[in-house]
Amino acid sequence: MGKYSKVFIIVIAFFLVLFYCGNPAFSQKSPKDKFVFPSLNPIQMPKVEKVELANGLTLFLVEDHQYPTIDLRAMVRTGSVFEPPSKVGLAAICGQVLRTGGTTSMNGDQMDKELETMAATISTGIGLTSGYITVSVLKEDIDRAFEILADILKNPAFPEDKINLAKIQQRTVISRRNDDIGQITFREFQKLIYGGDSPYACHPEYATIDAVTRQDIVRFYQKYFYPNNTIMAVWGDFESQEMVAKIKKNLETWQRKDVSILSLPKVDYGYRYTVNHIQKPDVNQSHIMIGHIGGVMNNPDYPALSVMNSILSFDRMFKKIRTDEGLAYSVYGYYGAGYTYPGVFRCGAQTKSESTVYAIGLMLGEMKRMTEEEVSDEELAKAKDEYLNSFVFNFDSRAEIVNRMMTYAYFGYPLDFMDRVKEGLEKVTKADVLRVAKKYLHPEKVQILVVGKEEDFDKPLSTLGEVNTIDISIPSPKPEKEQMKE
Amino acid sequence: MQVRKRQCFIAVLILAGILVLNPSLFPQTFEAIKNQVRIHALKNGMKFIVLERHDAPVVSFHVYADVGAANESYGITGISHLLEHMAFKGTKVVGVTDYEAETEVLEELDILYDAIKREKAATEPDKEKLSEMEQRFESLRQKAKEYVVTNEFIDMMRREGDRGINAYTSNDATQYINSLPSNRLEFWMAMTSDRFLNPVFREFYKERDVVMEERRLGLETRPMGRLLEDFLATAFKAHPYHHSVVGHMSDLQNITRTDVENYFRKYYGPSNLTVGIVGDVTPDEIFQMADLYFSRIPSGPKPEPVRTTEPEQWGERRVTVEAVSQPIIVVGYHTPSACHKDNAPLEALANILGQGRSSRLYQVLVKEKKVAVTAVGLSGFPGDKFSNLFAFYAVPAKGHTSAECLELIDEEIGRIKSEFVTPEELTKFKRNAVKNLLNQMKSNARMAALLTYADVVLGDWKLLFDQIEEIRAITAEDVKRVANTYLVKKHRTVGEIIPEK
Repeated sequence: MGKYSKVFIIVIAFFLVLFYCGNPAFSQKSPKDKFVFPSLNPIQMPKVEKVELANGLTLFLVEDHQYPTIDLRAMVRTGSVFEPPSKVGLAAICGQVLRTGGTTSMNGDQMDKELETMAATISTGIGLTSGYITVSVLKEDIDRAFEILADILKNPAFPEDKINLAKIQQRTVISRRNDDIGQITFREFQKLIYGGDSPYACHPEYATIDAVTRQDIVRFYQKYFYPNNTIMAVWGDFESQEMVAKIKKNLETWQRKDVSILSLPKVDYGYRYTVNHIQKPDVNQSHIMIGHIGGVMNNPDYPALSVMNSILSFDRMFKKIRTDEGLAYSVYGYYGAGYTYPGVFRCGAQTKSESTVYAIGLMLGEMKRMTEEEVSDEELAKAKDEYLNSFVFNFDSRAEIVNRMMTYAYFGYPLDFMDRVKEGLEKVTKADVLRVAKKYLHPEKVQILVVGKEEDFDKPLSTLGEVNTIDISIPSPKPEKEQMKE
Repeated sequence: MQVRKRQCFIAVLILAGILVLNPSLFPQTFEAIKNQVRIHALKNGMKFIVLERHDAPVVSFHVYADVGAANESYGITGISHLLEHMAFKGTKVVGVTDYEAETEVLEELDILYDAIKREKAATEPDKEKLSEMEQRFESLRQKAKEYVVTNEFIDMMRREGDRGINAYTSNDATQYINSLPSNRLEFWMAMTSDRFLNPVFREFYKERDVVMEERRLGLETRPMGRLLEDFLATAFKAHPYHHSVVGHMSDLQNITRTDVENYFRKYYGPSNLTVGIVGDVTPDEIFQMADLYFSRIPSGPKPEPVRTTEPEQWGERRVTVEAVSQPIIVVGYHTPSACHKDNAPLEALANILGQGRSSRLYQVLVKEKKVAVTAVGLSGFPGDKFSNLFAFYAVPAKGHTSAECLELIDEEIGRIKSEFVTPEELTKFKRNAVKNLLNQMKSNARMAALLTYADVVLGDWKLLFDQIEEIRAITAEDVKRVANTYLVKKHRTVGEIIPEK
């Protein structure tokens, strides 16, 4: 009896355990109970094809047959950082009119109409360090959409009337740039960090828009828009081989040309403590931004900095300034890293005028604490868990996967860059976080910008140091005659 | 020869016409998805809508609470949104070290808060007593804080990989969203059922301050925010679309924790909650767990629907906001709710008039006359559940005025009321409507949102897919008819930002 009963008990226990784990219907849990998660279904990595055409155009393709749509996004090696300082706005106008101006055989309005009637979009633009082209189309219209795309890339018209329209829009943006306090804060803070004349922070004025001619625009386009200077990602409901054939058919005749790309302008930053104010008498809440220059992602310390960012933003700034003190809706602290040029370390918050200086003190305190003491075990574990457990979301959309690859390729990063960051992040220790905080954060040498109504502040800003007042009034357009006199 | 050429030409036209008039709207694609959707209602009235998709081992959750700013009355405006904030503060087990001890302090705090409020309202407040009470309030608040595990609910979710944790409050609804690795399904069940079964509205007074900052940020310091608040308050004189979602500042200053608890009891019963779940899961497993975890929530009566309806407007209304800003103009005409049969033709009207570079308003105001840089038309503002507005919005170009924009908008309205829209324009609307829907459906999170929206607001989740038929059936006559029925000057409100001198 003894022997059998033991086996019996073991068998029963075994089944009870199975029952308990395998069938949750009999075990309601409380959030704080121990959860044993079933293993996660494997990530099915889609096959991404990389193809280079004879004319130098690089393609990344991934099939996605779930919905009858096809999307394309291309990056062109150019950027507004390459426009002359006297013509700020040139790149933006060029990027816009490339599409809105139509081609030598089809004007922009006809193109708008035909594309929209088939529910397709083609857009083009030029940002700071890259140009882009996007196409989004229902599968059945792909042939026509590609014909139009090829026509845009090969035969853009850049007509005067659409250049004029783009200039009207630019001038309107200038005239409205001080209407929104958030926009003022971001723009002026970039100028404090990179310098007002820096290509990374400068913005158009009436004079620089007026100075842009059609010839400038055509030349800018002719300098950069070549297949060997372009990378494309395509995803959607197609067979890759057929898609490559379609692209070849339409873009093979897009002529390559040797492009001499200047290297990106250098950023030269001198760490300094400054206090800056922009008076805005019509608001009851101040926008605060504090920080200094940041770094690039391609830095061995980037994984540790990512952990630091998570803790500084969420466990420190958010907890202290929002949850505990109720001083702001949005608050963060983030060491920004760019692909190729340094980002910005930036702490931001918006708080009622009456708590402005108090909030700045708290933000500086949290920043300083980061550089003085190790984070807790709990904070470190939490930051890592957040990153690692949500890592699977980097693979939940094929669009995201193929765009990431293209972006890495464009900026010359290894295609498995994200996996390398993950590996690095798994190894980050509390000592690493403190080390990078000490190395990269300079709480004594931050620039502080406050946009708000100073009469209502809890204390004068001068209690923080000598205040530099920034004038944001918009230089008025000069009449032509006056320009001639100068 | 001549004749044959012409016939040929006509044949081509007819062929083109057929292609244009019968755009492929992918009925098979929508039908296939529709057939995979499963629903399950619990005995307490809570409903689960599930779509399994195994492309990636992730799952998105969307809890749709059928309560929003439109359910609020005077004195408690903003409470739906404030409650949404409080729903992140934890429960009897999450966010707290000693719930019993904490409860005592929180109750004491509420009583003291009422006493302070009454003292302040007295004809001659006793300043000494008041200051004493306020000091005691602050020290009690500190004491309560000692029991709090700050942000634990959010931390626990994020730590399990929740990339999408958030919530939104609108005029119509309050929506809670999560996205997790799919093996965390039961964890979500445990956390979320606890969230709606045992919420504790701790750290209430500081969170109210956060919401006030949110009001300043999104509404008071932004000229456009100010304009929209006054515009809606003018267009709706009776219906609660009258007030902004974030609520009036004075209400936010006075809403109590008890108000929020009462509001929760009234509107967060299981019959008022609908859950959408989309991703790497199986419906059977979900339904089994849902029974186990969510059936515990006691059922209650479905809350009374909003009583007030907006009466007919007696004449054009105008409202201005003076601000340090360039001009902006908004125009709104009263239209029925999203359930009404005219909703689809109104969407067509909005698209043809004011969406995209080839729309009539963009063509005329932006490209040809160059008086505006943006000119948009949209339906269903500020919500869908109740009678709402068909709105136009224009940003005048530098040197041009709102009046110039309005004149041209009026001309285009006149034209669309007297002439039929073209077949190409109708096709454009139909195909874009379908493509937009397809694009949204690609995301698990958006799909979960769409399913719950269709079920609650339109009355049946199937309408998400069946609306394609409705869209296909729209004719030029329908568009002309709704333009004439609703774009009536007497029934409109015009709002403008006037640059302050």
